Amino acid sequence: MIAFHARLFGAVVALSLAASSPALSQQLELKIMAPAAPGGGWDQTARAMQQALVAAKIARSVQVTNVAGAGGSVGIAQFVNGAKGDGNQMMVNGFVMVGALAMNKSPVTLEQVTPIARLTEEIQVIVVPANSPLKTAQDLAAAVKADIAKVTFAGGSAGGVDHVMAALFAGTIGADAKKINYIPFSGGGESLAAILGGKVTAGISGLSEYEGQIKSGKLRALGVTSEKRIPGVDIPTFKEQGIDLVIANWRSVVAPPGITPEQRKVLSEAVEKMVKSDAWKDILKQKGWEDAYLGGDAFADFLKKETTRVTDVLKSVGLVKS
Amino acid sequence: MTDSDLPQGPASRRIDPAGLVVAAVLAVLAVVLVLDARQLPATTMYGMGPEAMPVVIAIGLGLLAIGNLIDALRGNLPPRESADPKPVLLILGGLALLIAIIGLGGGFILATSVLFVATSAAFGRRAILTDLIIALVMSTLIYLAFDRLLTLSLPAGPLERLL
Amino acid sequence: METFAALAHGMAVAIQPMNLLYALIGVFLGTAVGVLPGIGPALTVALLLPVTYKLDPGGSLIMFAGIYYGGMYGGSTTAILINTPGESASMATALEGNKMAKAGRGGPALATAAIGSFVAGTIATIGLAFLAPLLVDFAVKFGPEDYFALMCVAFVTVSATFGDSPIRGLTSLFIGLTLGLIGIDKLTGQARLAFGVPELLDGVEVTTLAVGLFAVGEALYVASRRHHAEEKIEPVRGSLWMTMEDWKRSWKAWLRGTMFGFPIGALPAGGAEIPTFLSYSTERRLSKHPEEFGKGAIEGVAGPEAANNASAAGTLVPLLTLGLPTSATAAMMLAGFQQYGLNPGPLLFAERPDLVWGLIASLFIANVMLLVLNLPLVGLWVRLLAIPQPWLYAGILVFATMGTIAAKPSVVELSMLAGFGVLGFLMRRYDFPIAPVVVGLILGPIAESQLRRALAISLGDPIVLLQSPMSATLLGIALIALLAPFVLKGLDRFKASED
Repeated sequence: MIAFHARLFGAVVALSLAASSPALSQQLELKIMAPAAPGGGWDQTARAMQQALVAAKIARSVQVTNVAGAGGSVGIAQFVNGAKGDGNQMMVNGFVMVGALAMNKSPVTLEQVTPIARLTEEIQVIVVPANSPLKTAQDLAAAVKADIAKVTFAGGSAGGVDHVMAALFAGTIGADAKKINYIPFSGGGESLAAILGGKVTAGISGLSEYEGQIKSGKLRALGVTSEKRIPGVDIPTFKEQGIDLVIANWRSVVAPPGITPEQRKVLSEAVEKMVKSDAWKDILKQKGWEDAYLGGDAFADFLKKETTRVTDVLKSVGLVKS
Repeated sequence: MTDSDLPQGPASRRIDPAGLVVAAVLAVLAVVLVLDARQLPATTMYGMGPEAMPVVIAIGLGLLAIGNLIDALRGNLPPRESADPKPVLLILGGLALLIAIIGLGGGFILATSVLFVATSAAFGRRAILTDLIIALVMSTLIYLAFDRLLTLSLPAGPLERLL
Repeated sequence: METFAALAHGMAVAIQPMNLLYALIGVFLGTAVGVLPGIGPALTVALLLPVTYKLDPGGSLIMFAGIYYGGMYGGSTTAILINTPGESASMATALEGNKMAKAGRGGPALATAAIGSFVAGTIATIGLAFLAPLLVDFAVKFGPEDYFALMCVAFVTVSATFGDSPIRGLTSLFIGLTLGLIGIDKLTGQARLAFGVPELLDGVEVTTLAVGLFAVGEALYVASRRHHAEEKIEPVRGSLWMTMEDWKRSWKAWLRGTMFGFPIGALPAGGAEIPTFLSYSTERRLSKHPEEFGKGAIEGVAGPEAANNASAAGTLVPLLTLGLPTSATAAMMLAGFQQYGLNPGPLLFAERPDLVWGLIASLFIANVMLLVLNLPLVGLWVRLLAIPQPWLYAGILVFATMGTIAAKPSVVELSMLAGFGVLGFLMRRYDFPIAPVVVGLILGPIAESQLRRALAISLGDPIVLLQSPMSATLLGIALIALLAPFVLKGLDRFKASED
């Protein structure tokens, strides 16, 4: 009990010390919206930012709010309308939101928000069960070309990064992306069971999710979607197997529309400082996230390009009407 | 259900208007489902599309509409006691105010206090002032406990900012 | 018997006084947040996870386990006392539990829920220790067609909640199925019945529907009938504790509930709701007191509560053996492990047995703490029902809306809650059963998407449903369960006419 009190007391002291510190940035009282329910990737990112920003004394307090709904469509609508011009608010978003906004015909788009920075990304992988006759990405490509209907892909939600990747794979090898037999599952557990149980031909997912299965030999990875080989990961990229498929599931943070350049600068600097802090690095390590910091205009550019690419793919598979 | 379950008498054989309404609502629902299913684009390449299940459920609803209609026409419905609409409307009014206050940013304490007072009045309490004080104290305590202590974020309005 | 040694070592760590205190605080906090309707164990853990950051790893893990169990038990408490299931898995508990509370038997209902959770949690934890590798093989082989067949079995058993008129029961069920269609179709991403409202794209939240139908609907109904003789709730009638008779009727239900909960919870898409329904209808069929069902039968609380808790332990099977979180709760547990430096996966049992067993021991200790904290409180909880009716129902409504306000503070969501309240009122008034609506909302979408997955894999050939031995067997069970009552009735009539 004493130890517990001592810790509580310590925390209180730390908080009040932080509060009395003179540096300007420490006066920051931020609100970060996770446009999803607690527990998911965006929520974890928002809470990780909260932890790092406070631990590194970049902000005095950070409050995380959750606005769940429709792949972030509900959250971004509320963010754009409710937080306009507020320099103390940010929202976490990511790849999935791009597709969700297009598919849900959202009146609010990512063009309206003020880009701050990309934070993390996760490389994607295609796997087959260990006893599958397919050994390489080219084998899979040949199977798809032979009979596209018979090659079933298991992955995450319709229009999400896994689905987009399946369509890109088909498109890249010259097959008709519209005809892919992609079967969305509700979660990694369900799709993994379908792959291990041999119900589907191949599975698509983030690398970290299936890394354990790949290492233990239950799944065989046909390829990863990074530009170059990832150090420490013994899986060939699609590129080196002659298939130009580069994609990553990124997460980023944005600010509301209508903030002043100064406000944008304060937020960008705070995020940049956070990314360099030890607290953030520790969290990345703990969660197994890949640092993919990209700030400023470079990120704004990236966001635009991704939006075009994803929308085009979703149109090609008929999920978004052109 | 057989007729012997019901109290015998002329009343139990009359056509039941509520049953007719239920049948009509089910039929309308079935139509809405079919109309909605028809506007879905046929993008599914393999297996069953998104429009199949709504149609199946619509057929079920249609059959149930007929079943409920027959029950209503035969007066085969369980007897009902009279209901007093006033308290129900009072509580619904409280809920409507709660939604309005939350929507307009009036905050958690005010919103739940209004609902509390409306409900307790619906259950026959007339000491509105006492109840209002109880409600305000209670919701303030709840707000402090959950929002401040347990970091649950509840909507804040003018009253919450005073705390 | 390395397993036992490892478990004993884990226990030794977990029962240090400091850790026991953390467990107690965790259980208390978990219960406090978990009682809010609409905030289930997953959300409770997510919201309270930051509290555990400040502790050392061992303490944080054990407090975490306490929060988790507290959150789960909190949902049952409100289901029993104020007919407001805190999460979808405690809906079955509300059916009989609240009837018991109204009859002055809230004490035994809360006790059988707590003890049943403990028994189920303990058995399931032992099962986890010894059967995990076997179970996971079974779980992985369970394909979409098998899930669909399992849903068919569940659908047949729903009739246990129908009441006396099949037409009215089916009407309720189909209303639930219709509600289940609302939102984005999981397989094609197309919006159905959303009418352009973005909040509807994610579909109807089960807890919003359950809280609206059960809690708000009931408040409206009771208010509308106030001019009749006032319904008097006596908080305690007879014993506050479980009698010999209660124990006798509970223990088998606990065991059967565990048998449903653990294996189905271990399935990647099994969840906690289906085992609770299966348990409820099984208890109803097997009970020696079928006439008490619908009026407060203790088996109807004991079974589903045990199933709920056992399924939670079941979700640990894929989590610890495959490293895969198969439910929102499991995803939160994963986050909890990660802060302990634990990366679940196929190699976890082999690489870090100390941590795995430490965790299992923590869960066990948290379960004990839950019992220690809650049994003495039972007397206090049931006295809540002695609050004068106006304040009681006003409090219930504040509480019911508060869960939604905290989880999803949108006007649309709150309006849905009020709308479902009106629906619940009308259904009560015109004598339609409530539970099948919620069941339809839960089962409908799962059955649909699994069927469509199976058909997409087979390129539209329905024979796939009969090719898998598991699904063929389950469909057979469903068919027998569907036809058996009619056949038996026919036989009875036949016999009667012979006499």
